[in-house]
Amino acid sequence: MPKDQFSLHDTVRVTTKDAVYQGLVLPSGDATLVLKLDNGYNIGIDRKRIKEVEVLKKAAATKDPTAAVIKDNPSLPTIHLLHTGGTIASKVDYATGGVTAYFTPQDIFSMFPEIRGIANLRSELIGNIMSENMRFYHYNLLADRAVKAVKDGADGIIITHGTDFLHYTSAALSFALKGLGVPVILVGAQRSSDRPSSDAFLNLVSAASFIAGSDYAGVGVCMHAETDDDSCIVVPGTKVRKMHTSRRDAFRPINCRPIARVSHAQEVEMLSEGYPKKMAMPKGFTAIRFKEGLKVGILKGHPSMHAEEVLAYKDFDGLVLEITGIGQMPIIAMDEHSKENSRIHDAIKTLAKKMPVAAAPQTIYGRVVMNVYSEGRELRSLGVVGDYSDMTPETAFIKLAFLLSNHSADETRRLFSEDIVGEISPRTEEGEYLS
Amino acid sequence: MIEYETLGFMCGIEIHQQLEGKKLFCGCPTIIRKDKPDYSIRRELRVSSGEMGGVDAAAKHEQSKEKHFIYQGYHGSTCMVENDEEPPHPVNPVALQAAIQICSMIHATVVDEVQFMRKTVIDGSNTSGFQRTALVGVDGYIEVMGKKISVPTICLEEEACQVVERGDDKDVYNLSRLGIPLIEIGTGPEIENAEMAKEAAAQLGMVLRSTGKCKRGIGSIRQDVNISIKGGARTEVKGFQDLKSIPAVIEGEVKRQLSEIKKGKSVQPQVRKAEPDFSTTFLRPMPGADRMYPETDIPPIRVGDITVEKIELLDDKVARLAKKHKVPAEMVRIIVKKDMPFEDLVSRYPRVAPLLVAEYLVSVPKEVRKRFSVEADPLVHAEDILGRLGKGEITKESVCDILAALGKGETVDFSKYTAVDDSKVDAVIAKVVEKHKGAPIGALMGEAMKELRGKADGKTVMDKLRKSVG
Repeated sequence: MPKDQFSLHDTVRVTTKDAVYQGLVLPSGDATLVLKLDNGYNIGIDRKRIKEVEVLKKAAATKDPTAAVIKDNPSLPTIHLLHTGGTIASKVDYATGGVTAYFTPQDIFSMFPEIRGIANLRSELIGNIMSENMRFYHYNLLADRAVKAVKDGADGIIITHGTDFLHYTSAALSFALKGLGVPVILVGAQRSSDRPSSDAFLNLVSAASFIAGSDYAGVGVCMHAETDDDSCIVVPGTKVRKMHTSRRDAFRPINCRPIARVSHAQEVEMLSEGYPKKMAMPKGFTAIRFKEGLKVGILKGHPSMHAEEVLAYKDFDGLVLEITGIGQMPIIAMDEHSKENSRIHDAIKTLAKKMPVAAAPQTIYGRVVMNVYSEGRELRSLGVVGDYSDMTPETAFIKLAFLLSNHSADETRRLFSEDIVGEISPRTEEGEYLS
Repeated sequence: MIEYETLGFMCGIEIHQQLEGKKLFCGCPTIIRKDKPDYSIRRELRVSSGEMGGVDAAAKHEQSKEKHFIYQGYHGSTCMVENDEEPPHPVNPVALQAAIQICSMIHATVVDEVQFMRKTVIDGSNTSGFQRTALVGVDGYIEVMGKKISVPTICLEEEACQVVERGDDKDVYNLSRLGIPLIEIGTGPEIENAEMAKEAAAQLGMVLRSTGKCKRGIGSIRQDVNISIKGGARTEVKGFQDLKSIPAVIEGEVKRQLSEIKKGKSVQPQVRKAEPDFSTTFLRPMPGADRMYPETDIPPIRVGDITVEKIELLDDKVARLAKKHKVPAEMVRIIVKKDMPFEDLVSRYPRVAPLLVAEYLVSVPKEVRKRFSVEADPLVHAEDILGRLGKGEITKESVCDILAALGKGETVDFSKYTAVDDSKVDAVIAKVVEKHKGAPIGALMGEAMKELRGKADGKTVMDKLRKSVG
């Protein structure tokens, strides 16, 4: 069947050995021709079985919608949207099979009409990036664009972002944009915005309400508080983690309280104190950068571990150890069956001399305390840093990379356990676990 | 009387049948719960545009209501998939096979590749805001009242939530029904009158039940009827209580359209609800093709390799069994409808007449219920009763008494029901006649049967009594 007899979106009549189908040609594979029938159903037809394709109507040229210009309301704050192409503000483009972001303010207003009453919008497409493909380069790009937007008058930034690595980006921007004086809120969607049940609507509108209705000026993540479309929580960028593959309320505060809850009626209730407050951006403010070629790894301690796993990082610039429990690794040979553990001990020792090696808890919740067990004390004596910190492994990774990008290895070791932007809580309260 | 031929009457029906087993896209059971829910969640839905950029009229209509939805769920019966918190699992292969089976039974062509679509439904009946549906077969037909009625589409889709309560600002739904596999069969518009519509629905229902994979009971099958007349518009009428109401509702809808046309109003394409008084009321505008876009979470399924065995239609099975075993068709129909193992029992107890086996399954339990007010399952006691009957250990007259006793949980002394020979019957009669000299024959019969019940045929006893008394 020569393909060029008909083209995409043509209306055709297809005759096969045992049936006749009429419909619109959709993007199809080599083996199957996909048709949208008049009743809306798509079906696939085995190309080998096709006897004839008759074009009934050529595809109509696609319309280029000329968007209406929307005037700013001077009494409302101006929010700058940076789109990175997550599912939050996108629709599937069935012509190309790709995802198109809604990125003009008109698109956003038509999709999220509530925002019109909350803020004026600027909108900028950074790219179509699945968050799991992001690299340090993208943190620099986002941070620079955010600073530029504030220079151009934005009162707040919303970054639409894929959810998988959203908490890495929020941690990275927390460090890179320290002292910006303007809120930077990341939002994602766990159900894509082309679905009627998408969580994108409430997440995005709540982020805008939070920016307009609070004095918070740090980096935060605004997502569903519960499975209900009832309210959102805003969580500090360094203390948030995606804790579920698919639920709307996957983004949870770890070892802290949310900064705020934004109700369904778009009322903002502050839940924390001691956060950075809104102020004018300092003159000459620039984002602190990540070194793009930096090599930092994360390694999880596990049963029957081998020293080679540790040594695989010997040419890296830094390593986060996801330690077991409160601060251990399998580094002690208890009997003749666990001799490999001594080799792991020596491997960590080698690495810790060459580069900063930092501990973070694989339990996710809780604080690292390396003084409780002898393994922990031994790790500390080998030079592993991170004692008494309560960062997630992901935040620890970003912090290590951030420090290595801007400081010597020794300075990095020292600064790792010091709080920079609220990533280490001095104290942990009841109600901050599994909340 | 409506003259359908002169009205340009066009009518097609759509059948929705639930399947038994597991849900279409998750491992939850297909049990509809009515008890107290374990949890509830609150959700909102927004209209989105279809793959060609259009927004569906029916979806827009629902959006304008600005409602929110409460979904009630159950541990054990609903999971993250119904909650719209987890993507669908791969399609239930048993349900897909059943759909293909049905295609083969109504002479339809199965498509090469099945693509699940999202049909936008934002009245809240689906947590996702769409119903997953796939076209499985095309161009089938059935024969009704001597006429070939086309069946252009056979679809496999997921059942929606059941509404618990409707309010001004919110609707409450029960999640347990959501996701049950549903076969949708639609006929072409060749149905000529209301009676034919009812017959076509009955015929399709029979085909569906023949697969043995359908759910039973109220609500497990639903019929919609599409109606139009010259100068009117296509109306889809949903929510029929039963097949019998179809003709009356069709007549009512035709009359409604006629009166609208008479008043000079334009009749809009609509989805309407069948009311108990056979009238119809407006539900929503007719949805169009814009409401459909592909379900990207489920890859297209090549179905060319799925083969199905030929299944006997229930009507054919009734005719075959009735003829082969010389059992009245009405009795066989009940056996087939209840899916009782009649043939199995006939071959297991070859010395029991098939008619007796049929009576044992159909009329004996009925009699036990009537005479003794006992619910007894004949299948549970088949070996005790049919087994002994085959070996000649009990009489056929005793079957009812024994089933009643076993149904009550009593221990039965089967030796009481052994057949007695003629000389024993004669002896009992002689004794009774002697003891009650001059008594009327009815009384004598009663006395004789006290001793002979279940052991001798009542007619034989009466004949002998008559002879004896003269």
